[in-house]
Amino acid sequence: MSAATLSDTGAVHRFRFGDYARYLGAAVFVGFCLFPFYMIVSTSVKPESDIFSFPPSWVFDITFENYHSALFVFGGSGVLPFLINSIIITAASTVLAVGLGSMAAYGLTRFKVVAGDHLFFFILSTRFAPPVAFIVPLYLMMQRFGLLDTHFALVAIYTSMNLSLVVWVIRGFFEAIPIEIEEAAQIDGYSRWQIFTKVALPLVKPGLITTSILSAILAWNEFLIATVITQSSSATLPVYLSSFSGSMGLEWGPYMAVGVMGVLPIMIFTLVLQRHLVRGLTFGAVR
Amino acid sequence: MAHVELKSVTKTYPNGAVAVNDLNLEIATGEFLCVLGPSGCGKSSTLRMIAGLEEISHGQILIDGQNVVGKPARERDIAMVFENYALYPHLNVFNNVAMPLVARRTDKQEINDRVTRIAEMLDITEHLEKRPGKLSGGQRQRVSLARAMIRRPAMFLMDEPLGHLEEYLRIELRREIRALHESTGGTTCYITHDQQEAAAVSDRIAVMSAGELQQVGTMHDLINKPVNRFVAEFVGETPISILEDVSFADGRLTIGDYAIGLNEQAAAACAATPPATVGIRPADFVLGDADATGLSAVAESVQPMGETAIVLCKTACGPATVLLDQVDLPSEGESVRLAVDPDNLHLFGPDGLNIMYQGS
Ligand SMILES: Nc1ncnc2c1ncn2[C@@H]1O[C@H](COP(=O)(O)OP(=O)(O)O)[C@@H](O)[C@H]1O
Ligand SMILES: [Mg+2]
Repeated sequence: MSAATLSDTGAVHRFRFGDYARYLGAAVFVGFCLFPFYMIVSTSVKPESDIFSFPPSWVFDITFENYHSALFVFGGSGVLPFLINSIIITAASTVLAVGLGSMAAYGLTRFKVVAGDHLFFFILSTRFAPPVAFIVPLYLMMQRFGLLDTHFALVAIYTSMNLSLVVWVIRGFFEAIPIEIEEAAQIDGYSRWQIFTKVALPLVKPGLITTSILSAILAWNEFLIATVITQSSSATLPVYLSSFSGSMGLEWGPYMAVGVMGVLPIMIFTLVLQRHLVRGLTFGAVR
Repeated sequence: MAHVELKSVTKTYPNGAVAVNDLNLEIATGEFLCVLGPSGCGKSSTLRMIAGLEEISHGQILIDGQNVVGKPARERDIAMVFENYALYPHLNVFNNVAMPLVARRTDKQEINDRVTRIAEMLDITEHLEKRPGKLSGGQRQRVSLARAMIRRPAMFLMDEPLGHLEEYLRIELRREIRALHESTGGTTCYITHDQQEAAAVSDRIAVMSAGELQQVGTMHDLINKPVNRFVAEFVGETPISILEDVSFADGRLTIGDYAIGLNEQAAAACAATPPATVGIRPADFVLGDADATGLSAVAESVQPMGETAIVLCKTACGPATVLLDQVDLPSEGESVRLAVDPDNLHLFGPDGLNIMYQGS
C-alpha cells in the first residue's frame, strides 16, 4: 500500500516509484481508449489531402468543409434527416420509458400488488435474452402491423427495452422515501396522483436523471434492431453510418464528421442533465 | 373542532399481529387527550386509524357522529405531526407550511397572510426560505407544527412529536403545544411514551398496554386510582412497590410481620375476596426505626435526588422503594420499619392483577 491516501492508520504515504509507474500505465491505457476518438475528430477537420498522409500529419489546416458536406451532401441527402430521426426516436422512447417506468416502480413500491415481487423479477427478466434473439419475431410483428420503417416501431421497441431498467433503478429510489412524507401529503390534502407527481417524483429526481441518461444512450446507439426494422425514412444515425462501410472510395472526411455529429448530441444531453444531479437532495427533513 | 369516538376498534396487521384490540375511547370536543403506553402497545396504530392512514379491521370510528371508516385521510379534516417531522425535503419552509392550503386551492394572498402569521407564532419567520434539511430538529418540528395548524382542522393528531428532540427542547415545545392547543381550541390526540410529557400537555390520559386500553383519566386518577397492576406499575415517576405475603383476618390486613387496621369498607372488600398483593406508592411509606410498628426491612441503598431521596429496601414480602425527604435518612444496611396509612393501600385481588380496593 503506497498510494498517497490515508491508510488505515491515518498516516499519509509518500509518493513512491510504484505510483509513477501506475500512473504511467493508466495514462497509456487512457490514450489507447481515446485514440480512436481523436482520430475521428481530427480526421473530420482535416483537408482531404492530409487524411491519408503517412506518417499521419499532426499539424494541418483546420477545415469545416467535411461538416458542410456531411450535413447536406454526403450519401445523397446528408446526415440531417437521420440525425432528426435519431433525436425524435431517442427523445420519445426516453420520455416514455422514464414516465411509464416511474409509474410502474411507484405502484410496485407503494401499493399491494398481487405477486408484486414476481412481477418485479419478471420485468427484469425481459432483458435476459440477447436482443438478436428477438430480431426475427420483431421484424415479423412490425411487418404484420405495417410498422416497418416507422418511428413508432423503434420508439415502442426502445421503450420496452428501457422500461425494465427504469423500473429497477427507480424502485430503489422510491423505497428510500420515508413513507411519512407521503402520508403527510395525504393528510395535507393531496390525491394519490398529486402525491406521485408533486412529492414522490421530485424526491427521486436523481434516479430520473440517471435512468434518462442510460435510456437515451441505449436508444441513441442501438444499431441491430434499427437496421432490421428501418430502411430509409425512419433510419437512425447508426443505420445511416453503417450503410457506407464497405463501399469503395469512401469519403473519410465527411464520414468522420458524421461520426462526430453522432456523438455530440448525446454527450451534450448527458452533460446538461448531469448538472442537475444534485447530490445531497436526500431526505433532510427526516432525522 | 370535533368529537371523536372509537367503538370496539381492532387492528390486525396482515402478518397476524393484533396491534389494537377492541378499543373503546372517546375524545371530547376541544379536549387534549394523551395516549400513553410502552413502545409497541398500539398507540401509533390507533392514531393512524383515526387519521385514515391505516384501515381498521373491526369496529367504528366516529368523528362528530359520522362513521369515517373508509374515508380517505384528506377528507377527514385532520392535521398530523409525525415523530420524524415528515417535512417535504424539496420545498422550502414557506411551501411546507403552505402545503395544506395549496392542496386545497386556497387563494394566494390568503396563503401568504396565514403562513406569515403562523410563522410568527411559532418563531420560524427567519427560516421561511430555507429547506428543511438546513434546520435543527427543534426548528423542523416547529415547521411541522405550523403546517398542522395553518388550516384550523377539526382535529390534531400527534405521534410522539417530541420523541427525537433533546430534553430542554421537549420541555419548551411541550409548553408551546399546550398553549397552541388552548389558543386554537382544537381537539387533540397526542401520543407519547413519556408520562411526564403526558401529564404536562394533556387534559386526560389513556393508558394502553399490549393493544388494549387500560384506563382513561387524569394523571391524578392514574396515580391514586389505578385500575390494575399494569397502570399502577407503569404510571408514577418512581415505581410502586408490590408486596406479597398478604393476608386478611378480623378486620386487619397483615403484610409480612406488619398488621394494619382497615376501615369498614376495605375490610368488607377483603372479607369478600382475599387480597393477593398490595401496592404502595414510594411517597406513602412512613419510615420508622427498628422498634417502631411496620414491616421490617433493611435499607439496601440510599440515592439522594436533590430535595428527596430514594431508599431501596429489602423486605420479606419483596423489594420496596421508599421516597423520603432529605432529612433523617437511614444509612445503608440499617434495619428499619415501613408503615403506611391504610387509605394509601392499593389492594390487588386474587389474580394479583386487578385492583379490588383502594383508599380515596
Ligand atoms: N405495518 C405493520 N405490520 C405488522 N405489524 C405492525 C405494523 N405496524 C405495527 N405493527 C405491530 O403492531 C404493534 C403496535 O405497533 P404501534 O402501533 O406502532 O405501537 P406504538 O406506536 O405504541 O409503539 C407492534 O407490535 C408492531 O410490531
Ligand atoms: Mg409509535
